[in-house]
Amino acid sequence: MTRRLILLACALCLLAGMAMAVPCDRDGDGTLTAPELAAAILDSLDARQMGGAVEAPSPGDLRDAAFVYEHWDGKALTITDTSGRTTTLTRPIRRIALFNSDSLEMLRSIGLEPDRIVGVSKYVLEDPIFYPEYQGTANLGSVWSPDYEQAAGVRPDAVFLYASISQSSCDDIEDTLSAIDPGIRFFRFDSFRPTVYADEVRTLGLLLGKSEDADRFLTFYEDATGSVAGVVDTIPVKDRIPVYLENWNDYKSAGKGSGYNEKIELAGGMNIFGDNPVEYPAIDPEAVISRNPGVIVKIVGSGETTFGGYGDDDISSFEQVCRAISDRPVWNQIRAVRDGRVHIIHTDVIGGPEYFIGTAYFAKWFYPDRFPDLDPRTIHQQYLEEFQRLDYDLERHGTFVYPA
Amino acid sequence: MNPSVMTPRRSIALCILIALLAAPVAAANIERTITSSGDDLDVTLTVTGIPVGGIVETFPDGCIWKETDHPADRTRISGQQAAFAVIGEETIHYRVQGPQAAAEAFTGTWEDLLTGGSGTVGVDETHDPGAGKTPVETPGFLPAAAFAALAVAYRWRCGR
Repeated sequence: MTRRLILLACALCLLAGMAMAVPCDRDGDGTLTAPELAAAILDSLDARQMGGAVEAPSPGDLRDAAFVYEHWDGKALTITDTSGRTTTLTRPIRRIALFNSDSLEMLRSIGLEPDRIVGVSKYVLEDPIFYPEYQGTANLGSVWSPDYEQAAGVRPDAVFLYASISQSSCDDIEDTLSAIDPGIRFFRFDSFRPTVYADEVRTLGLLLGKSEDADRFLTFYEDATGSVAGVVDTIPVKDRIPVYLENWNDYKSAGKGSGYNEKIELAGGMNIFGDNPVEYPAIDPEAVISRNPGVIVKIVGSGETTFGGYGDDDISSFEQVCRAISDRPVWNQIRAVRDGRVHIIHTDVIGGPEYFIGTAYFAKWFYPDRFPDLDPRTIHQQYLEEFQRLDYDLERHGTFVYPA
Repeated sequence: MNPSVMTPRRSIALCILIALLAAPVAAANIERTITSSGDDLDVTLTVTGIPVGGIVETFPDGCIWKETDHPADRTRISGQQAAFAVIGEETIHYRVQGPQAAAEAFTGTWEDLLTGGSGTVGVDETHDPGAGKTPVETPGFLPAAAFAALAVAYRWRCGR
């Protein structure tokens, strides 16, 4: 009995060792060289098509070897995700399940082939305008209500989760799916936070063999963000315009450390509640009056303001929201209301991977004289056509900002 | 993104979009040109869009292999067939001895090991293995052990 257990343990160690080895690395030195890859290709062709009796790698091993050679210089890849976890891979990830729909959009920006996605969150399936190619992909539910049977059933190589939101729910998903299949790799990215956005694009590009496409997207992204940052950097802090930002819930703003606070600052604004230690504080309307912002920005697209975005061409709801803010009791004393500088923006272009389009709008609204040539709609259209590969005409469809 | 009501116009646009997105985008192919010089046939394979792959060329009876400029460790000859491992090369030249009339009878296949695509040398058409959707397994096809593990995980988390 003891001998059998020892043999079983040895077999498991051997299998684990094989799984961690770079495929077709014949000398086992951890680097797949061109001669080793060539020999594997020739052996495979010989055995399958030329009647040879050589021992050949499986087609799967051969394709994995080709990927590792081409994209990872023939070596194992060690990457660190946004949660700080380090993972070493010796084979490519071919089957991806995503609970994080923001990362799906980022993956599209770096040109990932849709057939590598085997499961998506329910939010992707509820959005056929923006995600037409994923309608019919397995529905994994959401981070808060995952469908474990579906998630395990699609046999993912990797599952993508959020790094900084709903961490306990993401931990539960990871624990449960790991118990079902210990071979699944888990990666955590946010794909909406400005501070890690570019790093995440680079890491995903390397991880998925899309480094060239990632670089091309980053050039576009850095042009868009750089054109704003270059001007904002020249504005003294004391001259920055005070901004009141309200999310889809009335009188709910953004405090210190929130993503929206960061986005206001990126566009050169001074968040009037930026000193509030609560991330999304409920504020007193009179506090807005007393702090007298020069610009008011209201975000719609969620909660009681579930309208607008890619699936809605009617701007009238935006107009009503804008008017309602100006009509709030005594708010006509606020500088932004008096000057007609109340703006409505949809969460699609400020809350997720398209945040840089929203910050371009912010910059234009905060400092119209300093950004005469900045055209956020053109950036948006280029993003959709070139990087999201969508045939979507912003001149004819969608409602994202008001006044336009 | 917001869920929204689909109008008929939007539905049509969506169908067109899906058709566009599903269309193959790969431009991988291999062209073969053959020139005759004396008793020899000089064959040039021009590789497009295949960074890592394999080619098997079959030359007709009556032709005898002579040489290639492709590296020896990326070439294998067996009877009337030559296999080439492609790792970054864009052209491969090889020479066989044979009659000019044999030029029409060369055949060959190629494989793109990065995309999984394959095709016929000289034919501008690719078989794309990724064109279909991955089928979703029904729970009945999942290994029983996986569900046992799932049950254990639930019980553990519920403290039972």
